[in-house]
Amino acid sequence: MANSEADKLFKEFKIQSVSEFFRRNAAMLGYTGKLRSFTTLIHEAVTNSLDACEEAGILPYVRVEIEELDTEHYKIIVEDNGPGIPEKFIAHVFGKMLAGTKAHRNIQSRGQQGIGISGAVMFAQITSGKATRVITSTGGEEIIEAWVGIDVEKNEGKIFKKIKHSNPTGWRGTRIEMEVKDVRYIRSKQGPYWYLKLTAIVNPHAHIEFIEPDGKLIVFSRSSEEVPEPPEEMKPHPKGIMTDDIYRMTKRTTRTTVRTFLIGEFSRISDKKIDELVQYITALRLIKGEEEQSVKEQLLKRLVNGEVDKIIASFGKSGKKVLREVRKIMEKPPRKLTWHEAEEIVEAFKYMTFLAPPTHGLRPIGDENIEKGLTGILRPEFVTAVTRAPKVYRGGIPFQVEVGLAFGGELSSGLDLLRYANRVPLLFDAGSCVITSAARNIDWKRYRVDDVDRTPLALLVNVVSVHVPYTSTGKQSVASEEEIYEEIRLAVMEVARRLAKYLGGKHRKLYQVKRRKTFEKYVPEVSRALSILTGISEGEIEEMLVTIIEKKFESIEEQAVGAESNA
Amino acid sequence: MLKREKPKERFSYDPKKVLQQLERFGKKVLEEIAAGRNPFIDVPTRGLSNVYFDERDRLIKMGDKTSRRYLFHVAHARKFMQTLLIAAYIKRLVGEGKHASLREAYYANKHTILGSKENTFEDQSESDPVIEDLERMFGVLREEMHITADRRGYIYGNVVIRDGEDEFNASKLGMGGWAVPGTVEHIEFPEINVDYVLVVETAAMADRLIEEKYPKKEKALVVATQGQASRGVRRLIHRLHYEEGLPIIVFTDGDPYGWYIYSTIKQGSINLAYLSEKLATPEAKFVGMAMDDIRKYGLENVTEKLKGIPPNKKGGPTGDYKRIIEEMNYPWFQSKEWQRQLKLALKWGVRIEQQALANKSLEFVAKEYLPEKIGKEELLP
Ligand SMILES: Nc1ncnc2c1ncn2[C@@H]1O[C@H](COP(=O)(O)OP(=O)(O)O)[C@@H](O)[C@H]1O
Ligand SMILES: [Mg+2]
Repeated sequence: MANSEADKLFKEFKIQSVSEFFRRNAAMLGYTGKLRSFTTLIHEAVTNSLDACEEAGILPYVRVEIEELDTEHYKIIVEDNGPGIPEKFIAHVFGKMLAGTKAHRNIQSRGQQGIGISGAVMFAQITSGKATRVITSTGGEEIIEAWVGIDVEKNEGKIFKKIKHSNPTGWRGTRIEMEVKDVRYIRSKQGPYWYLKLTAIVNPHAHIEFIEPDGKLIVFSRSSEEVPEPPEEMKPHPKGIMTDDIYRMTKRTTRTTVRTFLIGEFSRISDKKIDELVQYITALRLIKGEEEQSVKEQLLKRLVNGEVDKIIASFGKSGKKVLREVRKIMEKPPRKLTWHEAEEIVEAFKYMTFLAPPTHGLRPIGDENIEKGLTGILRPEFVTAVTRAPKVYRGGIPFQVEVGLAFGGELSSGLDLLRYANRVPLLFDAGSCVITSAARNIDWKRYRVDDVDRTPLALLVNVVSVHVPYTSTGKQSVASEEEIYEEIRLAVMEVARRLAKYLGGKHRKLYQVKRRKTFEKYVPEVSRALSILTGISEGEIEEMLVTIIEKKFESIEEQAVGAESNA
Repeated sequence: MLKREKPKERFSYDPKKVLQQLERFGKKVLEEIAAGRNPFIDVPTRGLSNVYFDERDRLIKMGDKTSRRYLFHVAHARKFMQTLLIAAYIKRLVGEGKHASLREAYYANKHTILGSKENTFEDQSESDPVIEDLERMFGVLREEMHITADRRGYIYGNVVIRDGEDEFNASKLGMGGWAVPGTVEHIEFPEINVDYVLVVETAAMADRLIEEKYPKKEKALVVATQGQASRGVRRLIHRLHYEEGLPIIVFTDGDPYGWYIYSTIKQGSINLAYLSEKLATPEAKFVGMAMDDIRKYGLENVTEKLKGIPPNKKGGPTGDYKRIIEEMNYPWFQSKEWQRQLKLALKWGVRIEQQALANKSLEFVAKEYLPEKIGKEELLP
């Protein structure tokens, strides 16, 4: 029953108090610039809808509507057919920063990019002064309509008004309506339209509808009937953790010491590893205290080589003293861990070696689904995709690369690079992204594509990992990790080879023959009609039309020959 | 008192105009072909995104977005071929002075394409939109292209109608009046002996008025729409107003459906936005039924409950309530008077039918209600 799906999801619901998180600047939350903020708002709502449907095994139907109320003043409506939100959680979901069911579970979900839907509610509240209207039902007896906002001081959700309606048709889902100012709707490759289009491509199981401010309805239809498996929960690996992750986790854990906390809530950390960690933190503290820059560097190099014992010994008495201090950290309650200590732990992890984490937590889209998505949304002539086997970067963080390539059909000229991390479209900071640099590195001429700028191509790259290495907190570009760069390059070369084969091969010719037949088929009909309309003879018109077709296909064949001689 | 005014438009039916347009269209396509280019046609975009309410003209109008269809484009080729086929068919129809229904137009153009298993039209849902496209492209009614619409509605009153070679008085054809044909483009009115037109929603009410000799006594032409007004009736109303200067007064049930009928007669509809200038009559006025009539004429015990869930109840608004709230947002219902009627309907949760007036007496509507309201011009805008 719908109700129990929702209940299951919400059993995991925990509240995380994180004012530190909050205090950071808006950039980190994705709310910079009028366009970027708009896209972030849509992102937060839509990913929640898709995630919720996925967890509940529902084929998603998501409708996004944007109304322009005034200049830089909009109403955003997002509605889904997901599991709905039980009444008692509404205030928390929308009003409390980081009160998710996903964040503390460490799974590879879409939702982890921003701060969550409460950030959007907050943004609406700050800019327009209006509460967010939420209408939701778990499919049971009633529909809840609530106006929610945030009590900034208490970091608490506030419900201004709540109405219960009966639910005679058994409607299930969630609809939120936000009024926002200081944003601008632009139909560019960084705006909501492009965001939704890219989202639709990698979620072929979703039906997404979009109404632009001018009233135009855009439908991205479903092209697959399979709901993807929800990602599995995985304990975080020490190599992929960041300071704020640890800090946040310490506030929630039920463990009694930092030692048991680290062992219990991370993968690949044993009791012995904690002793090692103590040594590394000690060594780093000692090295940091060293004044001579060249000595410092030398010591760090030795640390990388694993000479941690010797380094500590070389500091003699003071080494022992620091060691004792650091040991104490491990025995205190996790709640007492300071931000600075969390930072030290993360830094020490970087110098240590761990067993590689298991890869079963990765959730690629799958080559078949990428092909379906590209075909359904872009309607190309040719499409292909590869999902590579999982690899690790930074000596231990598993990741996986997927690439899809579409050519011709209704695509427009030029190469469109569609970047994703964990199925979330990345629309900003393309320049610093490893996906961009790896894709640029391909010599398209070697793959029968003479002039990339004039060839209709779309290249999709998805980097999958529980810890995607983003270049910055905005999470819009993936850092240049060598292993990731290499995987992307290999995958792109693979799909490019398949394209070359297609372009040179008989499939392409068959396609052209079919196209030509379509046009020729209508020539007599069109000629007769035009002759009636204009009085010019049928035969004359037919001849002219046939000539146009011939010329058109001649030039296409020339292009193909040109490409071949270049290969 | 309502009186006939000076006409604002002239009888304009001229089959030659449509023929010229079709020829010009053919020539343009041919020119592209002769120049060796991929021929195209520009079709105004359909749908809500290309519709707006023109405040000055008080009409729902079509925007200027167009989409281009090429012959040599895999996704357009078929539609291009179909458009030309129908255009050529219409040229023959108009040229020969014949009329055809939408269905006939479909059958006449359906055939298998040589050397394939494909039909030019698979079903009527393919040919109807092409005809609409042509209406949009040329800004003419399909009736002007001799494709007739369904017929519904009749008129009764002292006017002389010329239909081709026939001429007759619409008050001398018996109580059933004259049935409005699908196409009224060629109809002329050599003699008009009425002061205004009364458009009536239900046939029952129109029949009652005719029986009570209302058209004669009040010098009115009664037009029965029989529900939503057909295109023929709407065009007829438009022509009676603009070409003959007759004031138009609408009389419907006092419910969201009746008010919607009024709104389409007055402002046009979204589906047919491209034809508003020919089908709509923004100067039309509304006599009833209004919510205020209930109090004024003591009809409280003959009202009916609105259907659906009110906005302030769980799950609402639905049904009639939802419809009323939508109508409250129509730009042409923004006047104080209309907002008041709609709000009252929501508040009381009732509707009132035209026939409810029979509760007073059979003659009441013809002898008191209408003459009084129209005489004092107690009309809604
Ligand atoms: N449309 C929705 N349908 C069902 N549950 C939702 C929806 N939106 C949000 N939620 C619930 O609220 C939680 C908080 O969402 P959010 O603040 O965006 O954080 P996150 O998505 O990272 O978990 C989600 O984890 C989910 O359980
Ligand atoms: Mg979220």
